[in-house]
Amino acid sequence: MLQNQQEISTGVVRTVLGPVAAQDLGIVLINESLLSVYPGADLAPEINMDKSEIFETLKRKLNDFRRQGGQTIVDASGMFHGRDVWLYQTLSKATGVNIIATTGLGPEKLLGGYFVTPQTNPPTPWPAEKFAGLFTQEVVEGVVVPRVERSTAAGAVVSIANPEGITNEEKSLFRGSAQTARETGVVVSVQHGADAIADLELLLAEGVDPSRVVIGGVDRQTAVGSKAAFEIARRGAYASIDHIGWGSEEGYISDAERVRLVVELLEAGFSERVLLSTSAVGVAKGHPAKELAFDYLLSTFVPLLKKAGVTDEQIRVLLEENPQRVLTVDTTAALKIKEYSVAGWRQWFSPVDH
Amino acid sequence: MGKVNTVLGPIASEDLGVTSLHEHIGFGLPGCDLDTQWWKKPDEAFEVTIAKLRRFREHGGKTFVDCTGIGNGRDLEYFQVLSRRTGVHIVAVTGFVAGDSAMAYFREKSVEYLTDLFVHEITVGIAGTSAKAGAIKVGVSRGGKLSELDKRIYRAAARAALKTGAPIITHLTTDPQTALAIFDEEGLPLNRVLMGHADVGQDVDEERDSLIAGRGGYVGFDTIGYDLDMENPPYWGRYRKDRVDHFMRFLGKGFLDKAVIAADANCCALGWPGLKGHSVNYLFEEFLPDIRKAGVSEEAIEQLLVHTPATFLTLQEPQPVRRIEETEAVLAKN
Repeated sequence: MLQNQQEISTGVVRTVLGPVAAQDLGIVLINESLLSVYPGADLAPEINMDKSEIFETLKRKLNDFRRQGGQTIVDASGMFHGRDVWLYQTLSKATGVNIIATTGLGPEKLLGGYFVTPQTNPPTPWPAEKFAGLFTQEVVEGVVVPRVERSTAAGAVVSIANPEGITNEEKSLFRGSAQTARETGVVVSVQHGADAIADLELLLAEGVDPSRVVIGGVDRQTAVGSKAAFEIARRGAYASIDHIGWGSEEGYISDAERVRLVVELLEAGFSERVLLSTSAVGVAKGHPAKELAFDYLLSTFVPLLKKAGVTDEQIRVLLEENPQRVLTVDTTAALKIKEYSVAGWRQWFSPVDH
Repeated sequence: MGKVNTVLGPIASEDLGVTSLHEHIGFGLPGCDLDTQWWKKPDEAFEVTIAKLRRFREHGGKTFVDCTGIGNGRDLEYFQVLSRRTGVHIVAVTGFVAGDSAMAYFREKSVEYLTDLFVHEITVGIAGTSAKAGAIKVGVSRGGKLSELDKRIYRAAARAALKTGAPIITHLTTDPQTALAIFDEEGLPLNRVLMGHADVGQDVDEERDSLIAGRGGYVGFDTIGYDLDMENPPYWGRYRKDRVDHFMRFLGKGFLDKAVIAADANCCALGWPGLKGHSVNYLFEEFLPDIRKAGVSEEAIEQLLVHTPATFLTLQEPQPVRRIEETEAVLAKN
């Protein structure tokens, strides 16, 4: 424990406003979405993309979260679902909430043709190594603002599989994500397919340390049935109970069952391998999103945990210490993160050669 | 004769002049913008694009139809600036290059939604601008057959073509029977359809060309310049002489007024290397000399570059879309 504390006290996390000391993150929501745009929806005439309205809604929701004691939120939607790092920078300044942007892609059915049917014959989908290259650049060089600049570093790599079962292309995404985690020292966090343990093994086979892996969606009914969370924690990875507030109609266990799951994991000695979050969407465009606020976990779920006998100290470990440790960039990784400079944009543009 | 929608507003069909019906300011598959590999210096991209369009003007070119579908780099405000700065009319399209180049939001939509989307872009405007689409783009996904999604898009395009009078331009003529059946079922005459890319190397079928033209459709020799004789040609390339011979045989069958020529070139490619040195100007600098040498008259060239495009692009009187019951009756009969 002492060793962990020391690591945290020297560790750095990459937020949209730059590096922040891990222990300054406070209470963290590790798996949420700020702006979530279904790919292409912004091009549809019926979708209103008024940025001022989007900003006001997100600001209000982040302020509600902050009033409940929350200090940090991870936008875990990756690079292709409306991620707007400039918006997140402004929101972070306006609300004081730390925001961590992520790189990564998925599920396959939401990918663009560039990755799935490239202009080659045959149209071979991208292999893991190409995805790793794309994601690694977003960590080391900064996340893209498409065709404008690279901004601050992605703080995690997140990929998503089809919950019915991971597809071949999603396996490439997962393996590429694990390679990026291994090379850059950021955590890899996934929403698993049908088999959480098989997906964990897929990631570990790339040589990433289990302590740098988060398996999300372990509060899905199927995952709870197979006791996936316990096996994930036993292997040293993080089991992310990240659909708090969701229920059986969406394929998840209820909050009452979730409290029991947390208690059992704590009793089994896995307090340092469990994460809590709500997978809420601040503003959804082009898809239905569950009505769930960023303050739900603190205002509604934490009281349930306390009632079940979970101590304040255990809650602090779950909501602060664990996510802080997860988000701390491993400085022993081979690649070092470069600092953002607004003047650096030119390097990303190549000459027109014809 | 009528009118045509350009990115700067409707113009008289007579004002189209020399027209290339299938070109791109810049094309890229969705997702390519995330990969800095393809980010080109914006000032140079602008300069190169202006230079190519200016050269097109010098060759007598007046109208450039950009066949880039929704989400593939179609950038209306950019097109408007380019048109203002060069004097070239630019016609933008609604629709999708193919089902597999559409973004997820649109891939899951119904025929009714897609019809409304195309009609909106032709009659109201594109992406919040007042610029209206002048044609509808559809196409065949990778794999050799129309996918279920491709079929939905073709059917929606046929209905939007009837409702608005705008023509349809296809990417690929692969699996023509399926495409023609959909147009038939929807009651769209084939003279409102340009079946494009009949000249690509992997997909030549001269009987198919005759079938389409025989039924009144236009046949696109519209990847001209993707010659296997060039350095690093794409997989759809064709030896220059083979393409010219193919084209001459098509004219020889009496289909001059059903033939379309275009280069499908990118002024500055967005998400792929493009073909170095290729542009719309290949038509004037290489292809026209080739076909003149093969005996094509100036009058025929005027038909190809002026009269056929004008006839095709002119917006027709809106027609009622076939009632669903009628379409279903036709479907049942087939």
